Amino acid sequence: MSERSEYYKKMVTLAHEQRALFDISGARITRTEFRKIYKHYGISIDQWPIAGLDRKAFKKLRGVYFPDLHGAPSVLVARLPDEPYIFTLAHELKHHLMDRDSVGAFCLTQVQDEMKEIGAEVFAAEFIYPTIEFHDDLSKMDITKGSCTARDIVVLKHQTATSLSYAALAKRAEFTGFAPEGSLPKSGWKKLEENIYGEPDYKRIQRLRSLRKNLS
Amino acid sequence: MDVSTYVGERIKEFRTSYNGGKGLSQEELATKLGIATNTVSRWEKAVYKPKLKDIDDLAKFFGKPISSFFPEENTPAPLAGLMRAAQGLHQDDIEALTQFAQIKSAQNQLRKK
Repeated sequence: MSERSEYYKKMVTLAHEQRALFDISGARITRTEFRKIYKHYGISIDQWPIAGLDRKAFKKLRGVYFPDLHGAPSVLVARLPDEPYIFTLAHELKHHLMDRDSVGAFCLTQVQDEMKEIGAEVFAAEFIYPTIEFHDDLSKMDITKGSCTARDIVVLKHQTATSLSYAALAKRAEFTGFAPEGSLPKSGWKKLEENIYGEPDYKRIQRLRSLRKNLS
Repeated sequence: MDVSTYVGERIKEFRTSYNGGKGLSQEELATKLGIATNTVSRWEKAVYKPKLKDIDDLAKFFGKPISSFFPEENTPAPLAGLMRAAQGLHQDDIEALTQFAQIKSAQNQLRKK
């Protein structure tokens, strides 16, 4: 086994240990749970732009881990929707657990330390939704290796309410051989979800509000 | 000198040297910032400690970085390391990180008594 493979395997184990430590089960993790986890490790979370201050949002950054910002570890995270926000916090948690003794801040460049960054991605995906549970859930849906379709991914996400994004689920389905490589779309997941489950409540409410506004 | 006194003196210094040395009265500054007239006086005398939002507004008004309101020895230490690591990052994000480090430093100093 190569050094990289061993490292990523270690990240998977670490993710499982952390889930057990915080008594996390299932495929969904909330912002509240993450606040508790970060509190346990004494990591402060700041969102950018800071509330009340007029600042431009990040262009490309999602999160940065500072091992020692004014005497304490800190994570700066972009104001994001739930799924990327949760994934970013999981990613930065790995840096706290594994990379805090290295000098400087993390996630600033993608190539800066590829193995550490990919390791953080592996940890984050596994921490949110372990691959073994993913396999079990697909098996319960009678999905076998090579037969997983985009529709199956949408159903899986709907049934498990996982915090992992469609893109991450699709990547995992292909990586684990449940879907043939390159068979799953890169985008259009929300549209497909709507085709299967209908218009989501928030969207219907938005549409009705806009309609009411136009009528008055 | 404590941080509040230092901040107060800096506000006074920026106010009196504003507009090429012509200066600005406390009332005029208060009007520009949309705050009560006596607040500026209380900041300058370190009776009130300005909030982060106030420092931010003052920094924007005077065209100064937030860090210029605080003692130099307490300017953000992680910034140097951060900038070393930030090669290849989008310029806007580097600016955002610089601003964050300054704001975080200001927050920490404002919390001090």
